[in-house]
Amino acid sequence: MKFNLRVFLLTCMVFSVLVLTACGSAATPVPTDVPTDVPVESPTEAPAEEATATSAPTEPVTDGDAPADGGALVVYSGRSEALVGPIIAQFSEATGIQVEVRYGSTAEIAATLLEEGANSPADVFFAQDPGGLGAVAKEGLFAELPEETLAKVPAEFRSPSGLWVGISARARIVVYNTDALKPEDLPADIADFTDPKWKGKIGWAPTNGSFQAMLTAMRVVWGEEKAKEWLEGIQANEPKVFDGNAPIVEAVGAGEIEVGFVNHYYLYRFLKEQGEGFKARNQFLTGGGPGSLVMVAGAGRLANGKNEANAIKFIDFMLSTVAQQYFAGQTYEYPLVEGVNTQGGLTPLAELKRLEIDMVDLDDLAGTTKLLQETGVLP
Amino acid sequence: MDSIAVQCCNLSKNYHDTRAVSDVSLSVAKGEILALLGPSGCGKTTTLRLIAGFEKPDSGQIEVAGKPIAGPGLFVSPERRGVGMVFQDYAIFPHLTVFQNVAYGLKGQSPAQMRDNVLMMLKLVGIERFQGRYPHELSGGERQRVALARALAPHPVLLLMDEPFSSLDADLRVQVREQVRGILKSTQATAIFVTHDQEEALYMGDRLAIFRKGRLEQAGRPEEVFHAPATRFVAEFMGGTDFLTGQVTDDGILTELGLLPQKVGLPTGADVEIALRADDVGFEPQAQGKAMVLERMFRGAYNVYRLRLPSGRLVHTLQPHVRLFKPGTRARVYVSAGHDLAVFHDGRAVSPPQPSHIR
Amino acid sequence: MQVVKKTPFEPGRRDFRLPFDLNGMTLVLWGTAALVAVALLLPVVYLTVRALGAGSEAWQGLFRFRTLETLARTVWLAVVVTGASAAIAVPLAWLTTRTDLPLRRLWAVLTPLPLVIPSYVGAYLFVSAFGPRGLLQQILEPVFGVTRLPEIYGFPGALLALTLLSYPYLLLTVRAALSKMDPAFEEASRSLGQDAWGTFWRVTMPLLRPALGAGCLLTALYVLRDFGVVAIMRYNTFTRVIYVSYTTFDRSQAALLALVLVAITLFFLALEARVMSQARHFQAAAGPVRPTTLVALGPWKWPALAFCGTVVFTSLVLPAGLLFYWLVRGLGAGETIPRLELAVWNSVLASGLGAIAIVLAALPMAILVVRRPGRITRLLERLTYSTFALPGIVIALALVFFGANHVPQLYQTLPMLLLAYGILFLPQAVGAVRASLLQIHPNLEEAARSLGRSPLQAFFGVTFPLLRPGLAAGASLAFLTIMKELPATLILAPIGFKTLATGVWAAVSEAFFAQAAAPALLIILMSSLPMTFFILNEQRID
Repeated sequence: MKFNLRVFLLTCMVFSVLVLTACGSAATPVPTDVPTDVPVESPTEAPAEEATATSAPTEPVTDGDAPADGGALVVYSGRSEALVGPIIAQFSEATGIQVEVRYGSTAEIAATLLEEGANSPADVFFAQDPGGLGAVAKEGLFAELPEETLAKVPAEFRSPSGLWVGISARARIVVYNTDALKPEDLPADIADFTDPKWKGKIGWAPTNGSFQAMLTAMRVVWGEEKAKEWLEGIQANEPKVFDGNAPIVEAVGAGEIEVGFVNHYYLYRFLKEQGEGFKARNQFLTGGGPGSLVMVAGAGRLANGKNEANAIKFIDFMLSTVAQQYFAGQTYEYPLVEGVNTQGGLTPLAELKRLEIDMVDLDDLAGTTKLLQETGVLP
Repeated sequence: MDSIAVQCCNLSKNYHDTRAVSDVSLSVAKGEILALLGPSGCGKTTTLRLIAGFEKPDSGQIEVAGKPIAGPGLFVSPERRGVGMVFQDYAIFPHLTVFQNVAYGLKGQSPAQMRDNVLMMLKLVGIERFQGRYPHELSGGERQRVALARALAPHPVLLLMDEPFSSLDADLRVQVREQVRGILKSTQATAIFVTHDQEEALYMGDRLAIFRKGRLEQAGRPEEVFHAPATRFVAEFMGGTDFLTGQVTDDGILTELGLLPQKVGLPTGADVEIALRADDVGFEPQAQGKAMVLERMFRGAYNVYRLRLPSGRLVHTLQPHVRLFKPGTRARVYVSAGHDLAVFHDGRAVSPPQPSHIR
Repeated sequence: MQVVKKTPFEPGRRDFRLPFDLNGMTLVLWGTAALVAVALLLPVVYLTVRALGAGSEAWQGLFRFRTLETLARTVWLAVVVTGASAAIAVPLAWLTTRTDLPLRRLWAVLTPLPLVIPSYVGAYLFVSAFGPRGLLQQILEPVFGVTRLPEIYGFPGALLALTLLSYPYLLLTVRAALSKMDPAFEEASRSLGQDAWGTFWRVTMPLLRPALGAGCLLTALYVLRDFGVVAIMRYNTFTRVIYVSYTTFDRSQAALLALVLVAITLFFLALEARVMSQARHFQAAAGPVRPTTLVALGPWKWPALAFCGTVVFTSLVLPAGLLFYWLVRGLGAGETIPRLELAVWNSVLASGLGAIAIVLAALPMAILVVRRPGRITRLLERLTYSTFALPGIVIALALVFFGANHVPQLYQTLPMLLLAYGILFLPQAVGAVRASLLQIHPNLEEAARSLGRSPLQAFFGVTFPLLRPGLAAGASLAFLTIMKELPATLILAPIGFKTLATGVWAAVSEAFFAQAAAPALLIILMSSLPMTFFILNEQRID
């Protein structure tokens, strides 16, 4: 009897394992639904929030064992595999350079880079936000990029010392529920959301990197005091707290809240999945204040990397038309290179009244965190 | 009857198709110590546990102090039986001191009363100076006494003991069992204890009950069991027995040691076995004797000789220490019992008149 | 039976003996122990180095009210979760080993199984089920018109998820202790007039103290270390503060905070030592134990069954069912799952090798702790536990620090990852092996020695075969714990070494739920395999 039980269980399990394993395919996943109210925060850190990618099939880039041109290029990426995997694969195909990518959250990857220091095996750091780039730059781990590379993007989107360069940009916007609000109802400046009439209607994600970048911009542009007042003012309006941007957009669409402070590209993903009937739209605040922040995701070359030429090729590729179009078309981000158009009805970057700030000024994350902790928004 | 402490009637218990206890009936009088004796697996421990309440009988009844505690449709749980138990490994609670262990079964008493009772019990078994110690600080013999004190403290109607001395060193065993018997008698406790050691049973028990394969072979006083065994098994189990085969004739039983002038109620020609003890046999050296001395075992005040009979059977004989013979000596062996011997046919004792010396 | 404690050197004895025997056995034992100790010290050294670089601001940050408050909340969560886990585990253990509960064997197998569910997956699923607009609400809405359930986030959610996912460890420990407990103790208590309930509290529970103590310690430390659940449930514990420090790239502050966790661990260890000092003598009977008389539950069996059923449903059936539902729904909606063979292979490889390595490292430690008690071994034991409260990211970064800068050849290789697993999970394995070793009487080895065997031969010939079940248990536990592990794997694995756990993370961080469900289900299935065999074996011995 016991023998039979074990054999039976064993067979069941092996069978299930085989079924699950075998029913995978080589195609890139196409997400079609988002379960309600499920937080998107990754178990290790505030999630890499990106719009989804639906592009050409992926070749696994992670089993490179045939070195070429000085060995495989090692990239540490704070951006998720689902988003940048395809474009990295295209780079490999186009150049024949093998790429090995380590994925993780920006904070983990940056912390790892900092611990590794000069002994890091990484050649390129592909970051989600300027904070990570700034921290690594401060430690002196980046090497200067060549002028031609740097010149491809406007000056405010790269490090003034040429240590890193922005690759694509995202804008802070306010997403609003179309049933409850019209564009005219929304203020032009984010500071006005402290008005009591917004009580109970706001959603935010204070652990999210982009939100924190916005807050850093507030501190820089408004000063510590006013930034603190803003935080306290929003707190007084009892905002709903979320772990990431996607749930905020979803909640807005469902009518649970009326406005949310998020990045622009989430809406497009929802629109794609749920169609034009999705009851939310973006509003870029026209006031030009910190609420109109545009931030970059970017990359830099590690000074101690062993693959200098290929690293530069990689970054150049990301700034090439092909890649920039990928970012525009697949992830709905703003391309930074001249001549590449935005897609999906996005207002081109040049026409946005965005906050005048250099990316490099956004790297005092520590101070922002302290402020968030002081006001009790963060633990 | 008031003087019967325990009465078991037709107890049976099965385990997975084996009959562990099969139709056992016995009784224990008040103040009496009954020893359950038998080889391992014979059902003696199971019987004990049935009385304790840790097993449920499949059939039969048990009464303690006149009150039924187990039977068809009735099962009193162990804690309500008033039956104390000393376990083979003592099972003294390691997390309690000796005092707390002994006090464990005392209920409904004021702290002062409890203290007195416990101390009295500790004094009785002779370990009062250990009252604050923990079990792991005690030796085996001391722990055994704690177990005894603990079981006796609530003044149970009946005390059960499961091979209580088997965990002790051999030299300690004799000493301890004397003490324990003394304690039991002084408290007039009624006790049933289980052992596989015949000598222990013979010493400790007022009566013995021999078990074999779940059945009760014989119950009676030590002398009865020893000298008038009811079955061949009992005779053999009690030890020190040699067997002789014989045939019933009109005048007695014909054996290779000669004719035994014993009348048994069996037809002529029936095959029987006779139990011989070492003091029932004698021998004389004889050059043409067909038996041979094999070995002399020195026992101090006497010798035990092992002899081989012409049939190949071995017999033992007790001889005064001055009678010395070398191995290899030819001898004539004879029965020198002076009383009727136990005779068995098909394993069961056949009726000779009761030997007079055990009245 | 008296077990006389051996002292290595007894003053007053005529012949002088070294405090240790110089032989192969001793060398192996102490040598391995030394290596293990060095490995375990690495995180603490790293943290000290980093903490030394902390400026006064970091120190101020440490003593801020908010930090101290978070610390209190963390310790509070650990205490409550441990208590709740014990409240579930002890009755379950008792019901499945001591009573005539119907379908006992089935419950015995099912109740520890939630151990195979990764905490980050489990928390997710609980939110999905019990959240304000989760599955339960959706079921209740048409019937009861419930539009919104109370928030599950925060303390209640963290308590629920952590308790349901960590009670199995305590359950296994207590159950093992119960099944090896000499039934004579409970029978003695009954024969002395104590009923079943009274016996349980006055005899069984006190005798379970060693097992409970060890299990509760590990549970509390595990709560301190957890990040996945508290992040999803948005309950601010100390690990979250540490993570926030890492997000601001302030490694010194993070190190300082992590050292606080180590300090708390040492405090818990001291607490446990006091509880255990008496209990060290409660060793179970060496040798085969007679099966106990089962307590007849009578009408109580209905509440008991309801209890078992509820626990198993909420902690196992619900999460697994939800995962399955996501998988099917996602597949139905056209999602595809990526090929998982590589991840499966990598997971099995890492978990299998890791389990073997951990058990091999745990064995000498367990032997030293059980057979050669003394101050040094106690210190070693404390050391094993000292890093158990540290989150995976801290241990990983410690190894990054040492690996990249000092042993680059080993950096980002599988061996280094296995080392991380070892540091992370050694205490569990030591506990399992130790429990098994306690059952084996030292007399057996001594008998072999008296027959001419060297200590090593005696060990391998006599003790080792008897130890095999305990080693298998330790290995099974290590196997499934490694399979669930995430942060260290992300940081230290060779580049491109994808496991099922990293697959779950990658999918979940993008909210691709069918994609997350497939590897999550695989983790559960593959961990259930060794788990079930181990439980069935245990049952067979009973």
